[in-house]
Amino acid sequence: MKMVLPDTIHCVNSPEMTVLERQRTSLLKWQQDQGAALFQQQTQSFYGVGGGVSSCFSPGSESFMGLGEVVNQCNMIDPASGIEYWGQQGKVEVPAIGFGGGVAPSGYEVSCGSISGTASCPTTVVMAASGAQAMAAALAEEKIGAPVGKERFNKRKLERAHSTKGCEDDARDKKIKGCSDELESKITEQSNNNSNGNKKDARNGNDNNKETSVSSSKDNSKASEVQKPDYIHVRARRGQATDSHSLAERVRREKISERMKFLQDLVPGCHKITGKAGMLDEIINYVQSLQRQVEFLSMKLAAVNPRLDFDIDSLFQKEVNQMIPTCTSSFPTMDMSPELTNPAYLHFDPMQQVVSCSTLDMGIINPDMGIRRTSGPVPVPDPFIDSSCFPQIQPGPTWDTDFQNLYNMEFQQGRATATTTYQSHQQYNMGPMEATNMKMEI
Amino acid sequence: MDSYASFRESDPDTSLESGRKKRRKIEAESQSSEYGRTDVKWRSESAQRIYSVKLVEALQRASQSAAPATSRSTGGRTVRDLANRVLAMAARGRTRWSRAILASRLRLRRLRKVRKPSGSCSRPRKPLPAPSEDRKRRLPAVEKRVKVLSRLVPGCKGIPVTNLLEEAGDYIAALEMQVRAMTALTELLSGSHSDRLGSSTPSPA
Repeated sequence: MKMVLPDTIHCVNSPEMTVLERQRTSLLKWQQDQGAALFQQQTQSFYGVGGGVSSCFSPGSESFMGLGEVVNQCNMIDPASGIEYWGQQGKVEVPAIGFGGGVAPSGYEVSCGSISGTASCPTTVVMAASGAQAMAAALAEEKIGAPVGKERFNKRKLERAHSTKGCEDDARDKKIKGCSDELESKITEQSNNNSNGNKKDARNGNDNNKETSVSSSKDNSKASEVQKPDYIHVRARRGQATDSHSLAERVRREKISERMKFLQDLVPGCHKITGKAGMLDEIINYVQSLQRQVEFLSMKLAAVNPRLDFDIDSLFQKEVNQMIPTCTSSFPTMDMSPELTNPAYLHFDPMQQVVSCSTLDMGIINPDMGIRRTSGPVPVPDPFIDSSCFPQIQPGPTWDTDFQNLYNMEFQQGRATATTTYQSHQQYNMGPMEATNMKMEI
Repeated sequence: MDSYASFRESDPDTSLESGRKKRRKIEAESQSSEYGRTDVKWRSESAQRIYSVKLVEALQRASQSAAPATSRSTGGRTVRDLANRVLAMAARGRTRWSRAILASRLRLRRLRKVRKPSGSCSRPRKPLPAPSEDRKRRLPAVEKRVKVLSRLVPGCKGIPVTNLLEEAGDYIAALEMQVRAMTALTELLSGSHSDRLGSSTPSPA
């Protein structure tokens, strides 16, 4: 009957019908050229799997990705058989790989789901079979099998591509599950149809079949979408090199769009802007404005800088005065020398410059100290800093009890922040790349 | 993307390829899931704290190491470069722009030493090939903007667009943090300075 074949074609865009027709004719010719026996056997064995249409797909579904790849591979293998159509549309031929029907649906799924997602995939996959019957069978099977794999395939990474196609594939899938017997009859009719070239009717018939099977099919979110007479846009255009390329390109495009979305969240005020060019404009403007701001602030800082040293001391004093009434815990370090007292106030610095006070003090006292010396929330004696960073971390016997109290206090105040600050400082000392070596036992 | 091309050459080993695809998918998922982390890193309070501390240290060192009262140590440009370098340090060298900032200083120093007698070292730029049949390809507005963006972000001249966008995201987050930290710092310093000038008696410790 003209059910199966027209069905596969029906879901395709009208402009594609001509392509399909061309495919069909080329397939027919190709099939005639090839030995039909082999494929017929395959198809028969496929049927002989005992309603194994679904069972065939089950293994395929698990590894349909691989199968799809294989199918794609097969696509490459047989360039001569007019596969260019299929390759363009992301269809994969199913030569005698040995999977038989199992491959076809998975390949179909793969191709449809990931590459081009054209509804005409099934036709191309089917075409691999030689002989009209084989082709018809393959077409039907592919049509049916594709939805099975397609469902699963859609759940995978390339799911995004073609929900509509997935629906159609699902429809076909259900068809396979439902009516393997119908296939045979359809196949014969398909072949007849092919020979007749009466494809449009076949498509309509197929569509009806599909719809009926869809309605009777099991739960499938995409089933409902099958009902509509949708025409799928071909994603992979003619002339596109191979499936792998289009796949890679798609992945690249997805990456770019993902990053653009991230940037959209980052740059304020560009939620309404759609399109890459506008977004890039906004990003450029924002980066430029940020850089200008930094420049302006650096000039301002430079103006204030000469008084940096004095200000730091006064800052400490001021903050101490501010913090004393607010701080709750007592500071045993209050009576200590200025260097030791500073760390006590570090934590209450409004800027949370935990390290700044102590380190700055040390910086003032020892201007030749490198940045290495100025790490750690608590000022550690120089020899310990110089020897290695690790002794710094551990509150060892070298630390006074006051230091330890300070340390504990800081922990109480903000354990996480202190830790991270400490760690990061240590890491700065060791170099940006040696973070992994640091083992903070804080 | 290499993995996509790989199956072309591989033999029809479904398990291997399916495994590869699964791995690829997991990688993609992990990448996408952890993509937003760079933003969080720069937004944290601790990061800003660290940065401001380091910046103050560096500023002090710069002001002390250089001869006092010279404009060089406290010039606006110097401070800006210093701030950028400290920011690049804060990036821990994981991003391209941070490495470029840190590396550019070494390169500049070397160049300055070498080229001091020679003079300016601006390379004569290659004139753009006249727009011929490639005009259609040059027009895409996206490409132009991508080029401009690559010039803005340091060290991102010839990298693919996806990497450029990633670097730009991290760079923007880092710049935001830098602006926040420097604003607070200037506010603090200028505030303390004015206080110091205003108050005559130091507060009792």
